[in-house]
Amino acid sequence: MVALISSIAWLVPAFPLLGFLITGLAKNRLKNNQAGIIASTLVSFSFITALFLFFSLRSSGQDSVTVTLFNWISAGDLNIPFAFLIDHLSITMMLIVTGVGALIHIYSIGYMHDDERVSSFFAQMNLFTFSMLLLVMGANYLILFIGWEGVGFCSYLLIGFWFKNPAFNYAARKAFVMNRIGDLGFILGIILVFFTFKSVSFTEIFSQAGALQAGAPMITLITILLLVGAVGKSAQIPLYTWLPDAMAGPTPVSALIHAATMVTAGIYMIARSSILYNLAPITLNIMIGLGLATAIFAAVIGLRQNDIKKVLAYSTVSQLGYMFLALGLGAYSSAVFHLTTHAFFKALLFLGAGSIIHAMGGEQDIRKMGGLRKKMPITYLTFLAATLAISGIPPFSGFFSKDLILTKAFENNPLLYILALGGALITCFYMFRLLYLVFFGSQRLSSAHPHESPRVMTIPLIILSVLSVFGGFLNIPELFGGKSDLGEFLHSAITSKVTEELSSSTEIGLIISSLALLGLIILMAYRTYVKRAVLPAADSESLSLFGKVVANKFYIDEVYTLLLEKPFGFLSDFFFNTIEKAVLDPAVDGIGTATSRLGNLVRKLQAGNMSFYLFAMVGGILLFIIFILIV
Amino acid sequence: MILLIILLLPIVTGLFLLLLKNPATARIIALCSSIANLLITLGLISTVPSPSYSVNWNHFMGTQFSLGFDGISLIMLLLTNLLFPFIILSGFTRAHIKIPVLNFLILFTQSALIGVFLAQNAFLFYIFWELTLIPVYFILLLWGGENRKAITLKFFIYTLSGSLFLLFGIIYLFTLTPGMHTTDFSAFNQLHIPAATQTWLFWVLFVAFAIKMPVFPFHTWQPSTYTMASKQGVMILAGVLTKMGIYGALRFLFPIVPQGVLYWQNTVITLCLIGVIYASVIAFRQTNIKRLIAFSSMAHISLMAAAMFILNYYSIQGLLFQVISHGVTIVALFYVVHLIQERTGTLELPQMGGLKHVAPNLAILLLIIVLGSIALPLTAGFVGEFLIIAGLAKFSIWFAFLGGTTMILGAIYMLYAYQRIMLGDNNPTLIRVKDIRTLDFFILIPLITLILILGIYPQPIFNLVEESVKTMQNLLPVNEVVTLLTR
Repeated sequence: MVALISSIAWLVPAFPLLGFLITGLAKNRLKNNQAGIIASTLVSFSFITALFLFFSLRSSGQDSVTVTLFNWISAGDLNIPFAFLIDHLSITMMLIVTGVGALIHIYSIGYMHDDERVSSFFAQMNLFTFSMLLLVMGANYLILFIGWEGVGFCSYLLIGFWFKNPAFNYAARKAFVMNRIGDLGFILGIILVFFTFKSVSFTEIFSQAGALQAGAPMITLITILLLVGAVGKSAQIPLYTWLPDAMAGPTPVSALIHAATMVTAGIYMIARSSILYNLAPITLNIMIGLGLATAIFAAVIGLRQNDIKKVLAYSTVSQLGYMFLALGLGAYSSAVFHLTTHAFFKALLFLGAGSIIHAMGGEQDIRKMGGLRKKMPITYLTFLAATLAISGIPPFSGFFSKDLILTKAFENNPLLYILALGGALITCFYMFRLLYLVFFGSQRLSSAHPHESPRVMTIPLIILSVLSVFGGFLNIPELFGGKSDLGEFLHSAITSKVTEELSSSTEIGLIISSLALLGLIILMAYRTYVKRAVLPAADSESLSLFGKVVANKFYIDEVYTLLLEKPFGFLSDFFFNTIEKAVLDPAVDGIGTATSRLGNLVRKLQAGNMSFYLFAMVGGILLFIIFILIV
Repeated sequence: MILLIILLLPIVTGLFLLLLKNPATARIIALCSSIANLLITLGLISTVPSPSYSVNWNHFMGTQFSLGFDGISLIMLLLTNLLFPFIILSGFTRAHIKIPVLNFLILFTQSALIGVFLAQNAFLFYIFWELTLIPVYFILLLWGGENRKAITLKFFIYTLSGSLFLLFGIIYLFTLTPGMHTTDFSAFNQLHIPAATQTWLFWVLFVAFAIKMPVFPFHTWQPSTYTMASKQGVMILAGVLTKMGIYGALRFLFPIVPQGVLYWQNTVITLCLIGVIYASVIAFRQTNIKRLIAFSSMAHISLMAAAMFILNYYSIQGLLFQVISHGVTIVALFYVVHLIQERTGTLELPQMGGLKHVAPNLAILLLIIVLGSIALPLTAGFVGEFLIIAGLAKFSIWFAFLGGTTMILGAIYMLYAYQRIMLGDNNPTLIRVKDIRTLDFFILIPLITLILILGIYPQPIFNLVEESVKTMQNLLPVNEVVTLLTR
């Protein structure tokens, strides 16, 4: 079995790479849906292979298999094989990436049908899938980093896919640069890992880590630097502002890259490094703070957004915050569980949004929608399932994964629980606000003629909604008679911190009270947006001061422009116009002029007489030769 | 013997070209000669009997005419002979004036450069070092752009005055050698110069190399020279001539004045890192694309210079790898810039935009080169920069952080430039523009393939220099001054 795994593992990333090469090189020859069909088929092959690996690994009785392809870099002590680690964590991620990825590829055949650069689109989507698979399959930090930068680059390409629009191009660059800020921290972290452990390979590092003392400065520094990378990639405070702008890309891109897979890479990386993080209590506390702050902050912004994709984008930032909270609590497998269910329901929400935007002829403003429930029943029902899932209503998947995080928060500190629950209630409100505004009431834009999307788009929606509804059953806690299957499955790859379990009566009490509050919130949203049919104020209308601040996303983008972009441009001008042009250049010229004046005086020769310099040079060499001959 | 062939083949072919009338024949012969030289070099590398190898002729001009190489020379030799076929091929466009003369000058430069990298004594080194200046001077003066006279003059005087210091240093070292004086590197390396002397001798030797690389604040000749230079001129300057500075510093400073290096190490590294950030920041606001890339190149070279003065295993491996990687990338980049100039008629970014609509293939190729330049993994740039940053981190995590900012700053200015050139709405002035031609494919595809292959399989380069790197890293008396935080 192990030999079989070793011999076929490379196929998983090879399929999308092949797809990239075919659709990329033959893009002018592919007609109609050919590119989409090729790309989707290859990602599906990848999924089937991953599924096969999953069963092979289970029956092999081993926890992990390392597959080495060749030696990438070998210089001195530094040995970096191009190797994959197939274990329970990476196989979980592989199944999510290829499974959700294949559905989104299929959906895109319909969504991108009319685009003139559809072949390029699928080439880039396949390249992304390839990179993402390298990221989750890499057996050491540097292979992970190849994928990490690769997905960042593909994200850059796909955000700026419609490159006629300068604002989209700006959003693409912004995403790449903010990711790179994080990546600098990440790469420094990797280098320190190498100097500390004399290796970058996961299995070797983690087997040595036990010898280290918890809280040692080096391990704290390493974990913080790795965290900086994760904060950039997974859009946490202060590096989150690129993600809402990334909505410039086509909607399937938002679903695949900016919801289900790439943005969760930071969570994956930290869960992968759980052994190191367990040794760094300071870093864990930082993550609790960052995660919780991001979860609530982004949720509050989500309350006032009127662009359907922007609401979902802030919701993604907020949900990623919950995953960071879980990581900070040492509940790494809970974070991965929420990552999984989030991949299902958030991909579904985005694809649903795409279906709506498609039907509305490109309109994204939820104030102009309304009444779509009857026109688009499949989209409505699937969107409803996803909304219930993200809001944490049982038995939808989000309930199980979010409840697990809330419980862990309570175990740590009841105050954390209250804050996290507050965020969850806000989430519930903005999601139902979105649902009611889009699907209920009457249609507000008379020019649009909404219709249900074609089957190639609705079938992925239906499959994802099934996953969103039942995905939680992967990990039913003991409280409900389950065995925490996913947590147990991940146990061999992730070392979660052991905490004191709550008594089941406390746990049930918490669940009931939170459910009551959620019910109240849904009712509130219903009364506001359906009964009273309140429409969010137009952009020009005056809001309360706080409302205005929230609607403008706390002016964080403006602050960054003022504090970072503007001074950077100013510094650039200052260096060039003042230091370069007014100090260094004149100084050199001055020395030159002074020398030539001296030359004038002594030699009575004109400055800049080239023949003199040539003469001097050759003469000098001759003198040198004579000197050698004499001495 | 084979070294003599490699050295003389270009210049002899070049002299022969001067007799020819037909420009087309002249460039084909030039190309064949440079390809032959590349093949001989590759043959030499694959059959190296030992990493160090030297041939001596009898006394010639009062000193030995002795050629030889080690891993570091081989890297430089490989780079030179690898790039010159592409540089010559890039001249296969519409008729230039005086093609035989131009190709003669290019081949002359090649021979002189090879001489620099193979010379086994300082005297020979110096002769070839100065010889490179003559053909490059004429290439810049005769084929340069706007304001070429004044700029070429400044370039010439600037580098020449640096060389005078070097000449003085060589003569001084010569007088120190025992018995029958000699300028052999092997004898220089045996000198035990007092530490106090080394502290000033360091600068006497270093200035010429610092100007050539260039290192901040000796760089002011570089941006205007690059901007003005012709296509082939700038490819030679940025691709190969800058590496002469690195090579010279490796040859002269570390073996001969190690204590001088140690004394000035922190100062020089700080200057280099200032150069990295200074040049990267300036690049962001440049409107002339060639000037932007000139500053970008300065940033990359400064990082390589910093790696050199760190002098540990990783930094030197990274540096030598980056010599090849930077050379290939920058030559490809400048070539594309000239393609863009030919198509849009301008080098000014604000006047560009939307080229991707009419030249999608050019856009893709430029993007891959840009990725190499900003060191995306699986391009050659990443391997080199990763090792360099690792080398810096071994010395000081702060130096690694400062050097690493190039990852962020490079992405900022390169992607900005890419957007200004390629992206945006349809540009009505570009309607008649054609995508790349066959010739461009022949130049860009091999270069880009190299960028990718070296990024995926860098091992051959590491193996080539392994021995030399191990020798180099032991040259400084105390190697790792500052170590990491302890566990």
